[in-house]
Amino acid sequence: MNARQAALHPTDLPVAPTLDPAWVLVEEGFTLTREHELESLFAIGNGYAGSRGSLAEGSALSSPATFLAGVFDSEAGPVSGLAPTADWTRLSATIDGQPLRLDNGHNLEHRRVLDMQQGILWREWRHQNAAGRITRLQMLRLVSLADRHLLLQCATISPENYSGRVSIDAALTGTVTELRGSSTTVAMAVARQVVDSAGRWMGSPQQVVGQPSLEVRLGETYRLDRMVAVYTSRDTGEPREMASRQVERAIEDVNGVIADHRDAWLARWKASDLRIEGDPAAQRALRFAIYHLSSAANPEDERVSIGARGLSGTAYKGHVFWDTDIFMLPFFILTHPEAARALVMYRYHTLSGARAKAARLGYRGALYAWESADTGEEMTPPFVVSPDGEIVRILTGEQEHHISADVAFGVWKYWEATGDERFLVDAGAEILIETARFWASRAEREDDGCYHIRGVIGPDEYHETVDDNAYTNGLAQWNLEVGEEVTRLVAERWPEQWRALSRRLGLEAEEPHRWLQVARELYTGFDEQTGLFEQFRGYFGLEDIDLAAFAARTAPMDVLLGRERIKRSKIIKQADVVMLVHLLWERLLPEVRKANFEYYEPRCGHGSSLSPAIHALVAARLGDAALAERHFRQASEIDLSDNMGNAAGGVHVGALGGLWQAVVFGFAGLRFTDEGPEHRPKLPPSWRSLSMRFQWRGRWHEVVLPESGAERRTTGDDP
Amino acid sequence: MSEASILVPLDGSEQALAALPVAKVLGETERAALRIVHVGERKPPDAELLERLRLAAPALDGSMVEVRTGKPAAEILLAAGEVKARLIVMCTHTAAKPGKVPGNTATNVLRHAPCPVVLVPPGHGLSAWHLHHVLVPHDGTPTTSAALRPAAELAERASAELLVAHVTDIGAAPAEAGSLTTPRYVDQPQHEWPAWTSEFVKRLACICPLGHLHVRLVLARGSPAAEIVRLAKKQSTDLVVLAWRGKWEVPHAATLKAILGEAGCPIMVLRA
Repeated sequence: MNARQAALHPTDLPVAPTLDPAWVLVEEGFTLTREHELESLFAIGNGYAGSRGSLAEGSALSSPATFLAGVFDSEAGPVSGLAPTADWTRLSATIDGQPLRLDNGHNLEHRRVLDMQQGILWREWRHQNAAGRITRLQMLRLVSLADRHLLLQCATISPENYSGRVSIDAALTGTVTELRGSSTTVAMAVARQVVDSAGRWMGSPQQVVGQPSLEVRLGETYRLDRMVAVYTSRDTGEPREMASRQVERAIEDVNGVIADHRDAWLARWKASDLRIEGDPAAQRALRFAIYHLSSAANPEDERVSIGARGLSGTAYKGHVFWDTDIFMLPFFILTHPEAARALVMYRYHTLSGARAKAARLGYRGALYAWESADTGEEMTPPFVVSPDGEIVRILTGEQEHHISADVAFGVWKYWEATGDERFLVDAGAEILIETARFWASRAEREDDGCYHIRGVIGPDEYHETVDDNAYTNGLAQWNLEVGEEVTRLVAERWPEQWRALSRRLGLEAEEPHRWLQVARELYTGFDEQTGLFEQFRGYFGLEDIDLAAFAARTAPMDVLLGRERIKRSKIIKQADVVMLVHLLWERLLPEVRKANFEYYEPRCGHGSSLSPAIHALVAARLGDAALAERHFRQASEIDLSDNMGNAAGGVHVGALGGLWQAVVFGFAGLRFTDEGPEHRPKLPPSWRSLSMRFQWRGRWHEVVLPESGAERRTTGDDP
Repeated sequence: MSEASILVPLDGSEQALAALPVAKVLGETERAALRIVHVGERKPPDAELLERLRLAAPALDGSMVEVRTGKPAAEILLAAGEVKARLIVMCTHTAAKPGKVPGNTATNVLRHAPCPVVLVPPGHGLSAWHLHHVLVPHDGTPTTSAALRPAAELAERASAELLVAHVTDIGAAPAEAGSLTTPRYVDQPQHEWPAWTSEFVKRLACICPLGHLHVRLVLARGSPAAEIVRLAKKQSTDLVVLAWRGKWEVPHAATLKAILGEAGCPIMVLRA
């Protein structure tokens, strides 16, 4: 027992739940059919491992699952999915022969608390069984942020009005080894200990394998610790041995493991917290977003990225979309550059898959997979059976090509914010060059003297196989220009590395010039007279449907109107031209930004969870506070409201990243100029102040934005 | 322990006989005896009873026949209470008032029945009925899931397919905690729809055990009544099962009333 443990009562946990409601998500009572949603919302993770917040003893609707980033199951079919590993959270008790369950007996109190500040899932439960025995339990569960291989569960049990026999069933014991997919070995080593309130050991870790049974006495408290260490063959050649060794060490200092984890979370929050005065709901929603974003990232592994639902659920199979590069990455770039680096390096390591996809479709360079897993190969399912029984062909994997520019955009933003030269030279430049090269081959010069990009899907996926999507072409144009710029930059500053890189890529001197020519002559759909971009060729001729008539809807517009009708209409699924305005803000004149937002915003059905936050962001930057706040509220409810219907498969990490951006780039008005970062805040009226920290080119900035729009800034090297 | 029974009110009309084949199949499936109830102003002589009911002796097939006098709906309800009927199976309307469906008697029985009621449209007479496809409209609430339990048990015993239909329309989602309606966001349909379908069925199954039932979920859009009628016809439905919250007066039960008039197949009404 070390010094940290010595000051505590033997069964005391070294930390207590955070009480401040702005830091916690609380679920009182028990509603069986909400279990899958709650498991997602209350998930814990560290970017290496993620566990759903399932009830330890299970219920009729429990789906406990622990996922390990990068561990996919490829044996289930051609589209691999994140593979759940052994359930280390299963823990149930039987009191004098009666199982302790929520659906059995009477729950005097039951509360689950996601303690976002400390990264801990708490559970407090007072249960009375049919015989009248009252038991109080407190449970703690964490996935260590300090040591990503450690998972911990602690439970205290106090018989309030009886003495008797308690049997504990902790299904996973010893060391378990599984083979996942075709090649990944996962090893989990488990150690447990039980101690009573006098500090008497009820069994050593070695003795309490199997199903321990305790004689418990009224008035006493007993504590069970279950420590798990997990390694895979992705980490080491000896996962089983590593897991066994580590768990043996960790069980010796459980309180130390908890304290280290808590400290790691506090440090993360110190770097990333957004403090809002005057709007508790917005504050909690922002912390929920930051919590799940932080839970999903692992700066120590650059061969994994963050799937659309992180490690919080099975939906989307752990696949990586543009969500990561466009919606999540900015958060990491500014608050956790090491994690951002791992994310952009994932795109470097999957470049071969992107090159193969481009070649397969007859193009040069790199066309990233719309859905990417561990190898970078295209993982988009080709068909889906819709709930009305129709077999629908999925074209995004073939046509949603803007993903390549999205990846390039993220890479460039990372470079701009960090000045990470080694990354740029070793990896980033290659991505930018290969994506520019793709666009140069993808665009075709036609009789009108312009280059065109035909047969694509833009962010608005209601309209497929369209020509000259404004977002795609706009980002392609940007990508071509930045590709050329990076060739000059690297050639000038790192000539030796440039020679090697250009030789390896077979890049002729004139090729970047051609990229500029394609960029200059690329059709953009911009009308000088109206200042509008046409979202794609023919869009302006489609049917205008007034969305106001559908304001009370709870289903997406393509469901309400049908796929064919929606294709013939101007209703768009999500920010498309508005997204272009957001990303290329500095390139557009103020009146162009405004005209396009005012045209497209009323036509957006927000059928994607990614959409409301971007509209909030752009509305805020344009100064429409009321509209910005309305979109912000909608965005903040995507997971936290229980009537959206699809958090069961995991939280929407991309939407959470969008929410963070709506505050930082929208309400706070953060932008970067040659002189450095500056703010033009436009806070919602109820916000008295907004405080934030971020890192820009190696310096931490702390900003407090009051309602008046004034700002106070301090800078330093540490968060 | 008394034998389970299914009550079959027959008023002596040709239309009322349509309930009998349905009741027979349900009786076999539920292992329940049929009790035919005839309510008249006066009791007919025994020798005239079958003729009065327009039945040939073989059609009775072991069913008991009870004759009561008084007001039809009240007597049917009394009989159901006395024998603790598992089901009442009766025709939606038999009187010459084609515009009113269900008729007065059926309406009163439905509103006050102590057990589920199966209302059978007239017109099929004594032609055979089978139970292969059961259509269950579901608003996504736990209350509806709980109410549908008898229907799921019936479908499983009959080895019938259970088609669960969720109809989405413009309007607020149910406020009941734990409800699952059409997702507000469908980021990527290739992932969202399979996940939603699975979640809907799991939420149903955790309250209403589905055993080995073959369950299909279908999402429809538009007016719930019109969509359920459309699906019932398109899917060759043998029985539509509706969970009803027990309120009949306008504006309540609009969907139920519309379906009763148009579905063209028997409707089982369960109290939610």
